[in-house]
Amino acid sequence: MTPTLTPHSDVDLFADPVLEDPYPTYRTLRDLGGAVHLARLDAWALTRYDAVRGALGDWQTFSSSAVALNEPVNEMLVGTVLAADPPEHDVLRSVLADRLGPRAVRSLQADIATRAEALVEEVVARGEFDAVTDLAAAFPFAVVFDLIGLPDDARPNMLRWADATFNVCGPMNDRTAGGLLVVQEMFEWVATLKAGDLLDGSMGRAIFEAAEAGRIRPESCIPLLAAYATAGMDTTINAIANAVHLFAQHPDQWDLVRADPALLPGAFNEVLRFDAPVQVFGRRTTRVVDVEGTEIPADSQVLLLYGSGNRDERHYADPDRFDVTRAPVDHLTFGYGTHGCAGQALARLEAHAVLGALAARVHRLHVGEPKRHLNNVLRGIESLQVHGVELDR
Amino acid sequence: MRLTIDRDRCEGYGLCADSAPELMHLDDDGELVLDHEDVPAPSSAAAETAVRVCPVAALRAD
Ligand code: HEM
Ligand code: SF4
Repeated sequence: MTPTLTPHSDVDLFADPVLEDPYPTYRTLRDLGGAVHLARLDAWALTRYDAVRGALGDWQTFSSSAVALNEPVNEMLVGTVLAADPPEHDVLRSVLADRLGPRAVRSLQADIATRAEALVEEVVARGEFDAVTDLAAAFPFAVVFDLIGLPDDARPNMLRWADATFNVCGPMNDRTAGGLLVVQEMFEWVATLKAGDLLDGSMGRAIFEAAEAGRIRPESCIPLLAAYATAGMDTTINAIANAVHLFAQHPDQWDLVRADPALLPGAFNEVLRFDAPVQVFGRRTTRVVDVEGTEIPADSQVLLLYGSGNRDERHYADPDRFDVTRAPVDHLTFGYGTHGCAGQALARLEAHAVLGALAARVHRLHVGEPKRHLNNVLRGIESLQVHGVELDR
Repeated sequence: MRLTIDRDRCEGYGLCADSAPELMHLDDDGELVLDHEDVPAPSSAAAETAVRVCPVAALRAD
């Protein structure tokens, strides 16, 4: 294929207006091709469902050594589960899966449900609250902080650190540059942690125990700990915030879930499909590869646009419609395959608990305009004012 | 059609069993059990769906 026929675009996917609402841009890119060359980044965006899913399922060709979209951060991430390829990846992953897999998190369900009910009860009684800071952020933060067993002095900084960790996975723009200083600060703090600083029996402590038992190298402890702390909070926070926002906007869909609580897991999958908290991660091609008729050279930076694949009209009929009965189990929001989200069982548990507690009590939430939080990688909301709650009737 | 599980990969999400309950189930410990490794022809579509929904690509049909 000659270069002029290669689908290409000059768009800056990380400019503020695109981050505010990326979906029209995604559609334009999808119509250009399954793989589109982005001139500004000299990188390749995978835009369509099949292209993204295909790359996620082929780690031999699409290496995670470039999971971030800039080289300094990829060098920083060496040795983390997110950036490692098999076989190194699988060893790190098994340590996390021991504690994060569905078998392990089942035992947390009752406690998480009780905590969600207490929090929902409290904010709903207030009548006015911020659905993000008071509910969507407060809950996963409390749950994950305790599960990892982090010491209290991290509390005031953790969310700022997590936000920066996702920002720096973008291309080298202002957001990334600003985030790098913050991430530096986090790593300096995390590096001081010793096994004894983490709560007995916690997931964090289990990482150090895996090193003592020789399952992983001691130098893997700190990157694994950082992965837990950052991957586990901002993502779930934005998923719950997006859910509250979507249900407030679509009362008919909320009524369906309330009428039949068995719809909740499928409805949460539709929330995840509709607004993926993680919009993009990167890969590096290890060889020349053909993606839907476009040839991507070896050693290229690739962008996996999860949020675009989820809205691909080639895969989902009427993709811009929010429809809880669609129950799309195959969405791309948790990735897929080798790096498929290790925390998805926990994320689902948390979200089902909060949404279930709301559904049991609340007929309508009246909300203001959401204030978007712009991040290179995350799609989320900074603040969503609830100014009225109609309780069950 | 034959189903195989990669035991090292399978983390027990059970999404496969939700979509093809006639072919597999999770046991009391949350371990996936294949009830029919050789898929009866009428269930081949269900088997393909089960493979597709596994979030970590642990299940294969050949
Ligand atoms: C709704 C919430 C969540 C979303 C949308 C999400 C999204 C993702 C995505 C897209 C990936 C794949 C990255 C790739 O393809 O390279 C991933 C991986 C990962 N997630 Fe999540 N995540 C969520 C919740 C969580 C939670 C609660 C935890 C842990 C407490 C967690 C821990 C991880 C880890 C450790 C990985 C790396 C897995 C690997 O590389 O093998 N995530 N997540
Ligand atoms: S969906 Fe995949 S990981 Fe889950 S039980 Fe089935 S094969 Fe195992």
